[in-house]
Amino acid sequence: MQNAALWQSVLGEIELSVSHATFTTWFKNTELIDQNDSGVVISVPNIFAKKQFEVKFNDQVRGVLSKNGINPKKITYTINTSGKHTRSSRETTTATTPTTDVDGLISVNPRSKVGQTTAGNLNPRYTFDNFIVGSSNDLAYTASQAVAANPGGKYNPLYIYGGVGLGKTHLVQAVGNEIIKRDPKVRVLYISSETFVSEFLDYIRFKKKGFSEKYRNVDVLIVDDMQFIAGKEKTQEEFFHTFNHLHQNNKQIILSSDKPPKSIPTLTERLRSRFEMGMAIDIQMPDFETRCAILNIKAAQSGVNLNHETVEYLATNIKTNIRELEGALNQLLAYAEMRGIEPDISTAEGLLGNIRHSRPQHLSSKQIIDKTAKHFQLELSEICGEKRDKYIVVPRQIAMYLLRSELHLSFPKIARELGRKDHTTAIHSIEKIEKAIKLDFLIREQVASIREKLYA
Amino acid sequence: MELTVTQENLNRALSAVGRVASTKTQLPILSNILLRTDGNRLLVAATNLEIASTQYIGAKVVKQGAITIPAKLMTEFIASLPKESIELKVVNDNLHIKCGTYTSTINGFIADEFPELPTINESSSIQYSIKTDDFKHAVSQTIINTSNDSTRPILTGVYWNSFEGQLYLAATDGYRLSERRLVETKSDVAAIIPTQTLSEVLRNITDDSTEIDILFDDTQVRFRINDAEIISRLIDGNFPNYRQLVPKASETTVTLNKNDFIRITKIAGLFARESGGSVTISADKEKGVLSVHSIASQFGENNSETSAKVSADGNITLNSRYLSEALSVIDCDEVEFRFSGKIAPCVLRSTQPDTDYYHIIMPLKS
Repeated sequence: MQNAALWQSVLGEIELSVSHATFTTWFKNTELIDQNDSGVVISVPNIFAKKQFEVKFNDQVRGVLSKNGINPKKITYTINTSGKHTRSSRETTTATTPTTDVDGLISVNPRSKVGQTTAGNLNPRYTFDNFIVGSSNDLAYTASQAVAANPGGKYNPLYIYGGVGLGKTHLVQAVGNEIIKRDPKVRVLYISSETFVSEFLDYIRFKKKGFSEKYRNVDVLIVDDMQFIAGKEKTQEEFFHTFNHLHQNNKQIILSSDKPPKSIPTLTERLRSRFEMGMAIDIQMPDFETRCAILNIKAAQSGVNLNHETVEYLATNIKTNIRELEGALNQLLAYAEMRGIEPDISTAEGLLGNIRHSRPQHLSSKQIIDKTAKHFQLELSEICGEKRDKYIVVPRQIAMYLLRSELHLSFPKIARELGRKDHTTAIHSIEKIEKAIKLDFLIREQVASIREKLYA
Repeated sequence: MELTVTQENLNRALSAVGRVASTKTQLPILSNILLRTDGNRLLVAATNLEIASTQYIGAKVVKQGAITIPAKLMTEFIASLPKESIELKVVNDNLHIKCGTYTSTINGFIADEFPELPTINESSSIQYSIKTDDFKHAVSQTIINTSNDSTRPILTGVYWNSFEGQLYLAATDGYRLSERRLVETKSDVAAIIPTQTLSEVLRNITDDSTEIDILFDDTQVRFRINDAEIISRLIDGNFPNYRQLVPKASETTVTLNKNDFIRITKIAGLFARESGGSVTISADKEKGVLSVHSIASQFGENNSETSAKVSADGNITLNSRYLSEALSVIDCDEVEFRFSGKIAPCVLRSTQPDTDYYHIIMPLKS
């Protein structure tokens, strides 16, 4: 934890002082892996980076480290490898080289490359086991598990959408990891749509070979952040062909995006209909209980036991984004570790003060009604008025729902707030929206976005 | 920096090193070549951060110094000059070049920005000295089987490994595999050298080079031929234990003249373009022939045969391209070709008993 946070701040500072190209070439994929009395150890990706750090960047790294209060005697750079290549010991090669599924090495038919393993760019950290399920994402979770159990089967393509930091990437990668775990021979390829676009451009520009083979010779293709393909027509066409090829051969396709296919502008009709033909599910913002669960589990993973109040404090104050939630937790833990104090609620308050200020603890009912009206571009007088046109009724019902869900007001009070006489109107409205949220994406999206504005 | 070199030397160094400089890179300086004086020598170097290629050439140095200049322009310019001496002089980050009646100025870039070239610790590494002919031979026999599938990086290089006191080279792309014994070894080696590195080394071999020094450490390898040096990263990962794939015995063994085999394979291949190179090979013991059959549904079909010593009847379907390529790198007049049924791998090797090389191809589903 501490190492990661420290290195992040070092990188942050170095990024400002060197050119972008230099930073991405040399500082990407570096890590601070150890620090003790004798010095710090930094892991770098290859021999070139090692030499470059030793000769060119050493002073700079040392300088920034000392600004962060660390004055190592010695900075050592090691190359980050998964295995050693040569051994001068007496172990025999056969014994030290674990077989990587020899059965699958050579395959019979080149056109369907069966039996090849690949890590497929997947991050092994993302698994189903550490995905925290709550009411907001259980449908997506269940569907993903079904896909992992039977790739290319029922839900093809699987299309998962939702806002930032809600776990889309985690979920789609978990599917890939699970499939590989079940059968290491399945070829899984995970890419972001941006990679797809840039490789496609290379393919056109430099006549780089192997583009379509790469994407068509897989059993499971996972494309993250599909929305970036919007507006790129040639790429969409290429993806369309890739999609068809895979789908016809019963290969599983998994897509993630921040919007449902319908709401991605400039997505060609034929791709849109294809994205919708399998299963499109959304991931919602996590509810309070799920947020608490996430915090507890993450804290436990770092070997820290957070007390109940602190967890609740964080969960109450950060509502919209799991990434932000984790970030706040990491910040808290790092701070506490560096100072050698307990990460309790007062530390959290001190540290996250800025977050807290930006998030009003006490929403007023007026604010909710105001924001809702504004969201639908209605006047306050309209939403609280007598009219029962549909374009006013739905916002009014949403406002009631939010008053109930966010402020837990009583039904008669809710009715009064919106100028209704009868509390049964409020009950009916709230039930209606509760139901609609489960069924209608549009309503769900609108409620989510108003909620976001309330806490923004 | 100010010095004089011969056109031949500079041209040779630039063309050996220049290919490594890449134009498709985030770091613009990587498309440049580094020129740096070192006593009475000139260092010419390029890197793409996977490979670093360097070469020293003799020079009359007037003033020490260093500069980097665009690889492509410099290489092409020097190559077109006459075989005379060339004067190089750096003035304000620009390189002035004078050769006979030709003068030009190339805009350079300060050498400080050029990445540090990696070095290898000689004491803690494993060293081999290999005759260039043996090296060339062994590498060209295996490199054809490396894969370019970036999803399986371990197959995109040649696997150098020690086994029972011998150093072997092996490569596979998942459909075919070849292994070649190179030299005796006392150390244990298990290193995957990227395909591009080996092709760069092959390019650096000239007629006057007789020996090549190879140095392995945990993460990198260095090749040295005369004054040229190539340092490369190794591919990270464990190469599959391929030895257990080699069939120990086969149902059908065919012995035949290699050139005959190449000819009928090539002919059959002409009719196999439609079917992705698929040709069916049949061995007939009674007649003593090996025949290759291929069909192009739109154009016609072909059946070519040649006499052969056949141990048992059998047939197998193979990709004719793989077969031709394998035959073209086997160095002998007579080959042994053995297989068992339609799904087991077939083996190609020389008929000599102590042969160093074998080639395995997986059949196609027919």
